[in-house]
Amino acid sequence: MAITALADFKRNKVRTVLTSLGIMIGVMSVVLLIALGLGLKNYIKEQFEGMGANLIMIMPGSGFSSGEGGEALGAGMAGMVGGSLEFDEKDLKSLQGIAGVDYVAPMFLKTTTIGFGGKKESGYAEGTNEEAFKMLNLELLEGEAFTKSDVTRRAKVAVLGYVIAENLFGDPADGVGRTVQVGTQRFKVIGVIKKKGDSGMDTAAFLPYKTTFGSLNPDKTFYNIYLGVTLEDDIPYVKEKAEEALLRRYDEGEFSVTEQAEILSTVNQIFSIINSVLVAIGSISLIVGGIGIMNIMYATVTERTKEIGIRRAVGATEKEILNQFLTESVILSVFGGVAGLIFASLIILGIRVFFPASLNLLSVIIAVVISSAIGVFFGVFPAKRAAKLSPIEAIRYE
Amino acid sequence: MIKLQDVSKSYYLGEEEVKAVHNVSFEIKEKEYVSILGSSGSGKSTLMYLIGLLEQPTSGKILLDGKDVSHFSDDKLSAIRNKHVGFVFQSFNLINKFTVLENVLLPTRYAKTKIDFNPQKRADALLKRLGIYERKDFFPNKISGGEQQRVAIVRALMMKPKIILADEPTGNLDTKTGDEILDVLEDLNKDVGVTVVLVTHEKAVADRTKRKIYMRDGNMVDKYL
Repeated sequence: MAITALADFKRNKVRTVLTSLGIMIGVMSVVLLIALGLGLKNYIKEQFEGMGANLIMIMPGSGFSSGEGGEALGAGMAGMVGGSLEFDEKDLKSLQGIAGVDYVAPMFLKTTTIGFGGKKESGYAEGTNEEAFKMLNLELLEGEAFTKSDVTRRAKVAVLGYVIAENLFGDPADGVGRTVQVGTQRFKVIGVIKKKGDSGMDTAAFLPYKTTFGSLNPDKTFYNIYLGVTLEDDIPYVKEKAEEALLRRYDEGEFSVTEQAEILSTVNQIFSIINSVLVAIGSISLIVGGIGIMNIMYATVTERTKEIGIRRAVGATEKEILNQFLTESVILSVFGGVAGLIFASLIILGIRVFFPASLNLLSVIIAVVISSAIGVFFGVFPAKRAAKLSPIEAIRYE
Repeated sequence: MIKLQDVSKSYYLGEEEVKAVHNVSFEIKEKEYVSILGSSGSGKSTLMYLIGLLEQPTSGKILLDGKDVSHFSDDKLSAIRNKHVGFVFQSFNLINKFTVLENVLLPTRYAKTKIDFNPQKRADALLKRLGIYERKDFFPNKISGGEQQRVAIVRALMMKPKIILADEPTGNLDTKTGDEILDVLEDLNKDVGVTVVLVTHEKAVADRTKRKIYMRDGNMVDKYL
């Protein structure tokens, strides 16, 4: 039966391709959207996991820690973007005193210009301490990172991200030893970091945070503070103690203390919502494609009425006619589905160069299962009409 | 072999009931060569479709080898049609996108039980017998009407049927070609022993058969008027 259907499609190549096009585009968009969504999610997950284990993040705003649900999510996002609260060195000291804390890393972040010679590039000034390099997994391409004593003695040294160094010096490694201007302050470049693939880090100048106290950071504050905990089992204790310490100075809801795992689960939550929305959008084109198939199958049934009558006369049962037309619509839509999958894979291969999109088994299964399901669903009505035709009327049909 | 007992068939055209066939009873015996003669609208084609089990009677019985088949399921009727009945139509009814050979092999694709012959070999032999073997790879619209009707006859013979039902088989052909087709049907009846039922409105055509069934206004009548 499938062979008959294929022979038929061969005779009607243009129509077959056009009919399948709808499904093809539908499957392609669904597969692509899943791939992009998953890629983005994995990318962000990797970024978080790259930050070292047993990490506690302290942020302004009510943050992630207040629980699940859209409201908390929204508040958390707002907190990340710009809560009113900023932390300072006093907080660093009190957090450092908590038992079980391995290190404390403050994070001051400001968009600014970074210049060398006549060139000026926009980038980030990141004021932090020596712990950040380990925490953010920053590996040096050339030179060295700044040390604890560089922080204490307010050394005017900087470690540059790969891209900013490349833009300023051509060969990034050439930057070591030169003096750059970050905002209005001048810093000696002592190291350049290997490419991270993260535009934030790649265009940053990492500076000892005490050195930024001045024109870059007149308020001497930080947006975030990271706590590295020595033992995983201590995380709840450290979290509790950190909250206690901060509550002495700030009100509840003004800050949040979140462990990495919580952030990850929130990120996962956000992306499952985004993914479902994307897939729902893609599914609309699948439905449109299915209706296209149904339309053509109805036309085919009318066009082939006489053929159906002849087949019935020589002994085809209603079921056999039904199956014949159903097979045709399933083949049409699976053909479209597989073509869509192939095109999606090619596009994914193409964009992989700059975006971590990935095709997974799930997308393949979805493509094949959904497209055959569409073939059956939208094919069954025309096929039933074909099967129920009165053989005699069908034979007489001109 | 086939026996009709008080068979009626009516249709509804809107509200109006049309009695296409009314209380018809007769029997067709094995190896008979019969014609059903009647003017257009006499119900002769409906009668043929009833005999061929493409249509089920509104009332009455159709007995095939003594078994009442009038209310069999679609599956069973299709199986009987496939195995025991061959149709030949006025307008040939070949599938134009299939070659002659593919058309001829069509019934074998719907066989419900194992076929006891090689379809390809049987098709070749029958096409040779009817003198159209060299046309087997042609499409129907590339051969003459007489040749198309021969293809239809080969298709009807493929499954070794008990009965061939021919509905105005010469209607679309010139007299000479029509006569040749009638010769073919007559030969098959004589040589192969297949029962042939010829449906026609032409007395001259019906005169070639041994027995005639006259139809008028849905009724079986004694004489053709």
